[in-house]
Amino acid sequence: MVKAGNYDAPDGLYYSREHEWVKLEGKLARVGITDYAQNKLGDVVYVELPEVGKQVKQVTEQKTKEMELGAVESIKAVSAVYSPLSGAIKETNAALQERPELINTSPYNEGWICVLDASALETELKQLIDAKAYAEYLKKL
Amino acid sequence: MGYPYIPNTREIREQMLREIGAANINELFADIPSQIRLKRKLKLPPAMSELEVKRHVQAILAKNTPFTQMLSFLGGGVWPHHVPAHIRSLVQRSEFLTSYTPYQPETSQGMLQALFEYQSMIAELVGLDVANSSMYDWATSLGEAALMCARVTRRQKFIVPKLIAKDRLSVLRNYASGPGLEVVEVGYNHRTGQLDLKQLRAELGGDVAGVYIENPSYLGFLETQGDEIAAAAHKTGALFVVGVNPISLGLFKGPGEYGADIVVGEGQPLGNPVSFGGPSLGIFACRDESKLLRQLPGRLIGATTTLDGKARGYCMVLQTREQHIRRERATSSICTNEALCAVSAAIYLASLGPRGLHDLAELCASNASYAMKKLNMIKGLRAPIFDAPHFNEFTLTCDDTHVSIQKLNAGLLKRGIQGGKSLRAEFPELGETALLCTTELHSREDIDRLASALNELLGGKG
Amino acid sequence: MSYQQARWVEPLIFELSKPGRVGWTLPEKPRERINVPKELLREKLELPELSEPEVVRHYTRLSQMNYGVDSGFYPLGSCTMKYNPKVCEELAALEAANYIHPHQAEETVQGALELMYMLERCLTEIAGVARVSLQTSAGAHGEFVAMLITRAYHKSKRDDKRNQVIVPDSAHGTNPASAAMAGYDVVTVPSNARGRVDLDALKATVSERTAALMLTNPNTLGLFEDQIIEIAKVVHDAGGLLFYDGANLNGILGRTRPGDMGFDIVHFNLHKTFATPHGGGGPGAGPIGVQKELEKFLPVPLVEYDKKKGRYYFDYDRPHSIGKIKGFYGNFGVLVKAYVYLLLMGGEGLSEVTEAAVLNANYIMRKLLGVDGYELKFNPSDPCKHEVVFSAEPLKRMTGIGAHFVAKRLLDFGMHAPTYYFPPIVPEALMIEPTESESKEELDRFVEALRTIAEEAKSDPDKVCSAPTATAIGRLDEVKASRQPILSWRAYRKSAKG
Repeated sequence: MVKAGNYDAPDGLYYSREHEWVKLEGKLARVGITDYAQNKLGDVVYVELPEVGKQVKQVTEQKTKEMELGAVESIKAVSAVYSPLSGAIKETNAALQERPELINTSPYNEGWICVLDASALETELKQLIDAKAYAEYLKKL
Repeated sequence: MGYPYIPNTREIREQMLREIGAANINELFADIPSQIRLKRKLKLPPAMSELEVKRHVQAILAKNTPFTQMLSFLGGGVWPHHVPAHIRSLVQRSEFLTSYTPYQPETSQGMLQALFEYQSMIAELVGLDVANSSMYDWATSLGEAALMCARVTRRQKFIVPKLIAKDRLSVLRNYASGPGLEVVEVGYNHRTGQLDLKQLRAELGGDVAGVYIENPSYLGFLETQGDEIAAAAHKTGALFVVGVNPISLGLFKGPGEYGADIVVGEGQPLGNPVSFGGPSLGIFACRDESKLLRQLPGRLIGATTTLDGKARGYCMVLQTREQHIRRERATSSICTNEALCAVSAAIYLASLGPRGLHDLAELCASNASYAMKKLNMIKGLRAPIFDAPHFNEFTLTCDDTHVSIQKLNAGLLKRGIQGGKSLRAEFPELGETALLCTTELHSREDIDRLASALNELLGGKG
Repeated sequence: MSYQQARWVEPLIFELSKPGRVGWTLPEKPRERINVPKELLREKLELPELSEPEVVRHYTRLSQMNYGVDSGFYPLGSCTMKYNPKVCEELAALEAANYIHPHQAEETVQGALELMYMLERCLTEIAGVARVSLQTSAGAHGEFVAMLITRAYHKSKRDDKRNQVIVPDSAHGTNPASAAMAGYDVVTVPSNARGRVDLDALKATVSERTAALMLTNPNTLGLFEDQIIEIAKVVHDAGGLLFYDGANLNGILGRTRPGDMGFDIVHFNLHKTFATPHGGGGPGAGPIGVQKELEKFLPVPLVEYDKKKGRYYFDYDRPHSIGKIKGFYGNFGVLVKAYVYLLLMGGEGLSEVTEAAVLNANYIMRKLLGVDGYELKFNPSDPCKHEVVFSAEPLKRMTGIGAHFVAKRLLDFGMHAPTYYFPPIVPEALMIEPTESESKEELDRFVEALRTIAEEAKSDPDKVCSAPTATAIGRLDEVKASRQPILSWRAYRKSAKG
């Protein structure tokens, strides 16, 4: 576990600069938002999940709708969740519909958002950073 | 001269200018480029005293003949009813009247609770679990309902009955034009006015977002096939939308009971004066299902507790649907709504209660029933033209005579009676037909007076 | 400081219900049998049952737990919460205004038509436009219709490539939402370091796909877009239209006019600039004005005057019109109030309104600049117009207490909160619009309250964070309210059981 200020960033995960994490599970990738992201957002009241089967693209600086995995809402803000990898949505976390607060209480475990069948894993992983680099990145924000 | 609504006199303003280091008031407007500065005075009428304004505006309005000073049978989208005195006295309380949208719940509990009560009573009335705290009016509620159906189903076609007010249809078409929805009209049975189910089923398919009917219909008859229309719509994955006159629901089943997913309607008759057609009150209600709720337009008030959990309170909820947060992805751009009209409606419904609303609806319908009977006795007239149960509005045709509705209405007006609305322009196929309305404002003698005037105009014996 | 809002433990009206009570009477009993199939009749209707005095007490108590302009200072930025003269209410409630039906024969509503005609004339003069439609019910409604007119205009030029509407990043949320509702893609143009539209960015954004630019002037920072002539040229040269969001018209009455700035379509908020009350959210009225070239697209009907017959009439014979946008003719009751206000003020009075409102805002700006904890994000030597946007960022840095808590604590001083966290381009924004209705003493009290709160944030932060305590209720669990929404008495009972 790496600490960046008050925020956690577990080792072994890949991170995007948009504050999503990726956990590799064989060919599949589990995705969620980071501790930092949930903290900035505040109490999550609703999670808009992607449809299973939807194709998404890895997020770049020029963001488009095809890069969106859905959205996370607090009472007075909506944040789009961008996909850290390209691929097809394989599974979504249905528990979030009843208990959106899991994003706050357990961002890296119970609060996962979806599982992706990544289509260009090897090349795209290079765009992501590890826990240590992510912690450094947070310090500069 | 001073102005009564500007507390800071010229002298105080001079002093304020000195305090902030400005030489004169023009300095504060120096950022307006000189090419676009208005270099003359606004050409408006000169200011008048309150007394003069009062006399002036009274004199203008005196050129109106309010329907309280004649006998009127107009309905057709807004309906004249008695507004109990205590309603105006309560909504004129300036804490309600002069407040803004209740963004600060701690200091706006009164408005929030009143609107929560409004939502609750409307939900009860239409037989659904959720109502928003108001839209502009019936027509715009319908427009928003079509957009909502399209968002929920991701389909592009919206079905409406051919017998719908053409103005309302025009509003709907304008709303539908944004995302390019196709609005399809389904015909009716010429004897009963009922929706043509065969045509409806033929139009229904995987591309239909919603099916809309009105009950009572624009022309006053009831649509008795609600269940079947709901089933047909749902079978193809379309949503079922029903438009209502809420007074009728004192007698009739709420559309939620026969399968409506969304209910819209005109809330004006619930304690709001007709006021030349506005302000009115757009009713918007839907089933309590996340898929629908997320796409609902307009403001919602929810019940909650204080942070310590000890006291009950109310606040705006699901605000992320709204324009101030979601901007171009909002469910609607509506911000200012008709909140105070909604409070009037809540007070009205609380005052009538279930029995009052039932008796009122029954009296309105009974007057229409009596009027139809009387008018039918006049040679050449027929009311209604459709063989179906009616609420408080009905059609009257003089097709079998050689006179037009326009002419009959002109004759009635000379006798101090405002006749029904001519349907000539909206539905030429219905011939010389008018739409009439009765409410509790009409006594039996009033209706007799209409009948005898029409009889006289048609050459019968008085 | 001693403020305390009424605090009733007032049940829901449903909980006060007792079977058999009634709060009204009917003139007669129905005598005709109604011929309706039984299956259409309803069996149960759970509305509350109360007598009139109970209803009156309930809603009187609720009103006492509500804060309006008549209760005190209401500096809610962008909302122009000015005093609403009582005579407007009195005249709008006359039978001759309230009890006329929209389908009545025209000869029986000549007064209503005349009033609408005269109001339209006043509004065209104030905004510098050719014609005005009074049909739109609210600001956002006016914006939406303006976008429909924009589309009709481009379509009439057989120009169907224009699918983008540009809005500044400081715009009200209604602007992008209205454009999207009308089917447009929304493109955002950033503000520059002076808090105005970045002209170079705008130049880079416009193209043959630009349908319109939506602009508020003065903008939501309370600053006049002093490059408006260049902005208008850029948009017009690209073939787009310029839409004026009238939310901030109170800052320029009689000084300049949207039409003279180059705007093609203008909307008014009668419930802001022209003193009609907000009613806890509405009704309002949002008329739209257009220049000559767009006149033919306005919604039907417009009011015309037949000189020969000496009569007013509704003109429906407008083949290029976009059609209807609301049932009937607009929020007539609101139009009456606005017209009365215009007659009370006159042209010179309106100019004084703006002078007094702008002076009040500048006075607050200067006084608050001297208070530690608040700062301006843009050049403080620029005058503001009708409102000023401060940032509570310094206070947040020093104490951890930001705009939200400052706003909540202000409620305890018997004042409404400013708009906060808006516009989004100012961190910890406090958007303050005093209007012309406030006295110098009231403005001083407000500045003192903000100074006190900044000091409390340092000396007694708990006091600020636990505010408000002088309101009808303390802070609410808004998170719970949105996670498991309870939106009606039906749902409340279900949740209480479950």
